[in-house]
Amino acid sequence: MPIHKRTFSDWTLDIFVYGFMIALGLVTLLPMVHVFSKSVSSDWALVSGRVNLLPVGFQIDTLVNVVTSGAFSRAFLISAIVTTVGTLLSILVTAITAYPLSKRHLPGISFLMVLFVFTMLFNGGLIPNYLLIRELHLINSLWSLILPAMISVFNMLVIKSYYEGLPEALEESARIDGARSYTILFRIILPLSMPVLATIALFYAVGFWNDYFSPMLYISDPALKTLQLHLRDVVMENDTANAINRSADDLMNMSPESIRAATVVASTVPILLVYPFLQKYFIKGVLIGSVKG
Amino acid sequence: MSELITPLNEKAEGVKASRKREGRRRLIWRNIDTYLLLTPGLLLLLLFKYVPVYGVVIAFQEYNIFDGISGSEWVGLAQFRKLTHSAEFMQVFANTLLISVYKIVLLFPIPIVIALLLNEIRFTAFKRTVQTIIYMPHFLSWVIISGLFMTILSPSDGLVNSVIQWFGGEPVKFFMDNSVFRSVVVFTAGWKEIGWNAIIFIAALAGIEQEQYEAASIDGASRLRQMWHISLPGILPTIILMLILRLGIVLDAGTEQILTMYNPTVYESGDVIGTFVYRTGLGKMDYSFSTAVGLFNSVVGFILVVSGNWFSRKVLKRGIW
Repeated sequence: MPIHKRTFSDWTLDIFVYGFMIALGLVTLLPMVHVFSKSVSSDWALVSGRVNLLPVGFQIDTLVNVVTSGAFSRAFLISAIVTTVGTLLSILVTAITAYPLSKRHLPGISFLMVLFVFTMLFNGGLIPNYLLIRELHLINSLWSLILPAMISVFNMLVIKSYYEGLPEALEESARIDGARSYTILFRIILPLSMPVLATIALFYAVGFWNDYFSPMLYISDPALKTLQLHLRDVVMENDTANAINRSADDLMNMSPESIRAATVVASTVPILLVYPFLQKYFIKGVLIGSVKG
Repeated sequence: MSELITPLNEKAEGVKASRKREGRRRLIWRNIDTYLLLTPGLLLLLLFKYVPVYGVVIAFQEYNIFDGISGSEWVGLAQFRKLTHSAEFMQVFANTLLISVYKIVLLFPIPIVIALLLNEIRFTAFKRTVQTIIYMPHFLSWVIISGLFMTILSPSDGLVNSVIQWFGGEPVKFFMDNSVFRSVVVFTAGWKEIGWNAIIFIAALAGIEQEQYEAASIDGASRLRQMWHISLPGILPTIILMLILRLGIVLDAGTEQILTMYNPTVYESGDVIGTFVYRTGLGKMDYSFSTAVGLFNSVVGFILVVSGNWFSRKVLKRGIW
């Protein structure tokens, strides 16, 4: 509004808007800053309760020790495996399943759609799911974390609506040339759908990485703990003894509080590193999902 | 679509049922390769979604893990009768509704306010920075958030209690005190999602025609009035749709969140349906009873979502399906 002269009410509004946003930003950052400071402060400063916003008696031994401990690095590796394998398989199956379901005029497809969508609205609940995994002998198998999460109907619907927006002429000419469905899907549809597939792949990846609930239900073997489960044990059960490199000489200098803070920080960093990508693609995904609605 | 598929629709009218059925069969057969692509997805759906749906029958049994579903004794509605007579369940049900209602009343309006205010910011770099910061917690797992808040709210050395003590107050045991635990649950849920939930409203605001603001501005309407008379009505359908969707999941008070935060001291105020199912089902191995509780939850949730969507389609001509 270049011609508009700024009035008193405009100034008050601006002060309020900027003030509100700055306060919101600070409240969001505060817990992270506080925990980070605790993770890099010396133990005497922590125990005497002197660490608030800035680190006191800076050190990174605890952080290094936590990251190099067997439990953390193993859990990190397990999470990386589950996330990678889970995301690749999920995106593959979801992208394939969405294709036939986008052919709405084919007989039976609308019935199958109902079958898929119904599971979004009604589920068996915790115990039947647990008993199923038990029956399948998947307890203490990493497949228990991947297989049940592989087909998210919501994600499938987002991909399906993207396919439906692609020009039909592309497929038609291939079909006249005698191409079969899987050729059309893999050679024409999927390469054209890369933006939505990337977004949905990130949805899955964040889901697998952040999931602590399934590991808590299905994994009890310490060698198969995921990072979130390891973190849960440190945070909730105060299981800090396993969280550090016991062979270190400076074991004496680490309090449970500093180990806990360091484990939280070390688990947060990987997500923050990829956050710029996540933000960009996730917003796209949310908007595709809402346009569909 | 392709030559092989379209003729059905054109011919469909006036063709006898038998010929139509034959046409359908031919259509299926010709596109059998397309149907076959459903195999992996459909198998996963049946095994991991529909088998558990069948599994709810144990809510009508006295399920025993050694006898399985086929061998366990059928007890009809006994588990549900136990449920309605359980004082513990009534407490859990009340907690669920309380936490959920607090979350809706206190947290639902904030993303709308955030979107409206962000819309007033012309300084793009500032706007982007704020967005980047407030969307971030959405990507952190509940375990991490629980760790963050247990640290900052710690009674011995947490920042919040340092401030309380500096003002001369007594330290508060946020995770051990039934009078504040629910507030902690609601606040942390807000901390994680209010920024992220604003996105949908920001997108709706971007869809409002710029001419409306220009016209109002020429007429001398202040920005506050424009916000009230243009922005807010412009996103009202989105607000109502989101509210209906939110009300549909009122029985999920945040199971995964509370499971990372609570402990026996605060069961009285913080135990909700989802956590109760987890405790009684997997903790006490009371499979049938906890499945009955879960089934009650699923059925009420289903009714709420379906009727919410029906209402939304009727009133707003917009729904989720």
